[in-house]
Amino acid sequence: MGSDGFEITINIIKMLVIFLMMVQMVPVLVWVERRGSAFIQNRFGPNRVGPLGLTQLLADAVKFLFKEEFVPPASHKWLYYAAPVLALIPGALAFESIPLSMPIHVNTESGAHTFLFQGYDVGVGIVFVLAVSSLGAYALLLAGWGSHNKYSLFGALRASAQMISYELAMGLSLVGILMLFQTFDFQRMVEIQRGTLHFWLFGKEISLGFLPNWGIFFQPLGFVLFATATFAETNRTPFDLPEAEAELVAGYHTEYGGLKMLMFYIGEYGHMMVASALMVTFYFGGYELPFYSSQSLVEALSQSMSSNAASIVGALLLHVVFMAKVLFFLWVFIWVRWTLPRFRYDQLMDLGWKTMLPWALANVLITAFFVLMAHG
Amino acid sequence: MILPVIVLTLIVGTFGALLVFVASLLGPKKKKTAAKYMPYECGLPGQETTKSNVSVRFYLTAILFIMFDIEILFLYPWAISYQEFIDAGYGAYMLGAMLVFIGLFIFGLLWEIKSKALEWD
Amino acid sequence: MTDIILFYFLATMTVLTGVGVVMSENPLFSALYLVLSMTGVAGLFFLLQAPFVGAVQILVYAGAVMVLFVLVIMLIDINKSGEKYIGGNAAALFKGLAIGIFSGLVSAVVLRSPIVAKPALSNGSYTVLEIAKVLFTKYVLAFELLGIILLVIPIGVVALSRIKGGTHER
Repeated sequence: MGSDGFEITINIIKMLVIFLMMVQMVPVLVWVERRGSAFIQNRFGPNRVGPLGLTQLLADAVKFLFKEEFVPPASHKWLYYAAPVLALIPGALAFESIPLSMPIHVNTESGAHTFLFQGYDVGVGIVFVLAVSSLGAYALLLAGWGSHNKYSLFGALRASAQMISYELAMGLSLVGILMLFQTFDFQRMVEIQRGTLHFWLFGKEISLGFLPNWGIFFQPLGFVLFATATFAETNRTPFDLPEAEAELVAGYHTEYGGLKMLMFYIGEYGHMMVASALMVTFYFGGYELPFYSSQSLVEALSQSMSSNAASIVGALLLHVVFMAKVLFFLWVFIWVRWTLPRFRYDQLMDLGWKTMLPWALANVLITAFFVLMAHG
Repeated sequence: MILPVIVLTLIVGTFGALLVFVASLLGPKKKKTAAKYMPYECGLPGQETTKSNVSVRFYLTAILFIMFDIEILFLYPWAISYQEFIDAGYGAYMLGAMLVFIGLFIFGLLWEIKSKALEWD
Repeated sequence: MTDIILFYFLATMTVLTGVGVVMSENPLFSALYLVLSMTGVAGLFFLLQAPFVGAVQILVYAGAVMVLFVLVIMLIDINKSGEKYIGGNAAALFKGLAIGIFSGLVSAVVLRSPIVAKPALSNGSYTVLEIAKVLFTKYVLAFELLGIILLVIPIGVVALSRIKGGTHER
């Protein structure tokens, strides 16, 4: 029982740490977004509070806390308060199921333990992530309905219609990657992407030693479709129609302020982090370094320290690798937001249904054909 | 397997509820005025509320989404088992089964596009 | 032990929110209770070591079908139709009938089928492989038929939108 207690304690702490890490990433990302947008638009951005404006985040947090509580009198109180809380949950649930580094193996006096570097593993990885993200539409719908403001409602309707439209393209663009990896499990996908690029074609093995064995080289079209669909799923520019300030004030969170507004932000940035982590896991080798596998890293480390320490240090190092890849894609999200203009709504729906869906279908057919060819 | 998911949902829910509660305690309490409590509308007096007509296209989009969503979900087990079937020598059979299914999918999509049910104006 | 506690937790949640669906006066709340009920059912599937079915339950029912319901409820003016939605002897009669028919159906199925307390295999992807093997060999005709049945939806949608007063009236 002592060994069980140890594992349960570690797992709960791990879950809390990952959640808090996700939450505290948000102010950092907001800072990067504000400085980055200023850089792109040839402005300064926040640069007065602290070095490089870094403590602006703290000032913002204090300001958010001490904002006046405002509830629109015509609103539905329950829904109005529940919506920001619900906005937090899907992102957190999805992010915790993605492996952020390799599993840690430790030997204690109570026996050998293996701790996954993720909140939990439900066994169906990507389908679980898709399922909980599909619940994200409710937070927007409830916020829009609960605020009793027509702009909020229109914003929520637009957001949910857009989310469900692009969910199709996103789900379909993943079929190709599932065909190649034959699994829903993230851990397994990362393991498959180890080593250098090699594949079979017409019964001949082709190996390209100068490239890592990443999913992007097998599924370039799938990656483009998936990345575009995630931009729409997270309601980011150029797909931020739900928040089009020229038409809808601020969209579904028009009537929200202070911390409740911040919680919608945490939800949005949480979705961005999930999307980036998924892109890294599917197409860019997950937490693995190119050309240097995690096993050889652990072996090299265990030359100079105990095997327990080597496992922990190796996992932390690879976590840094993973986060570096994720941060790159988060920067791409910000970069795109301040580069591209917004779509019109009919263009947005046309792109989702008439362009991306057919291309995703084509990707499935092409991949199916090549997989059949690869097996001779 | 499901226990940590439930635990995390409760943790995040409590965290969110706590944030909302703390914010409502700490914020200054100011006088309520009629203008402040009007639905926000860029400074103009509010004209219509949420009881205006909403395009039925949202409904069409949602119902079409269900159909395509189910079809995509059936492709998932197919994609997972495809290579296994190929190795067992049933590759062409699986490709054919999927081609018929996707053919129906494409027919549905083309039907929608041709009959302009997906047009937004 | 944890499984039993979890089962009772999820089952209670499913049943209570199910009661909430029929008891709440606001149709929007009915729909939201149904979302919770569906999620509880999905949790039970996870508990039965069938994570794929559980995730699909959330994805299709809670994530797609219920979004449609909520959207529709938001489109209609529920304040006007609120009084007609609940109450009255006729409504009570229909509710009683619905409960009777449904519980009769469920108990018939439960009584007539052998109870197999065999959990699926623990690894998620492996269960999916098992599903796929049955689906694409024994039930491949049913699988293709399903594609045809699903095709009825877009055709119906087009027909509905083209009737008099529809958005794409001819």
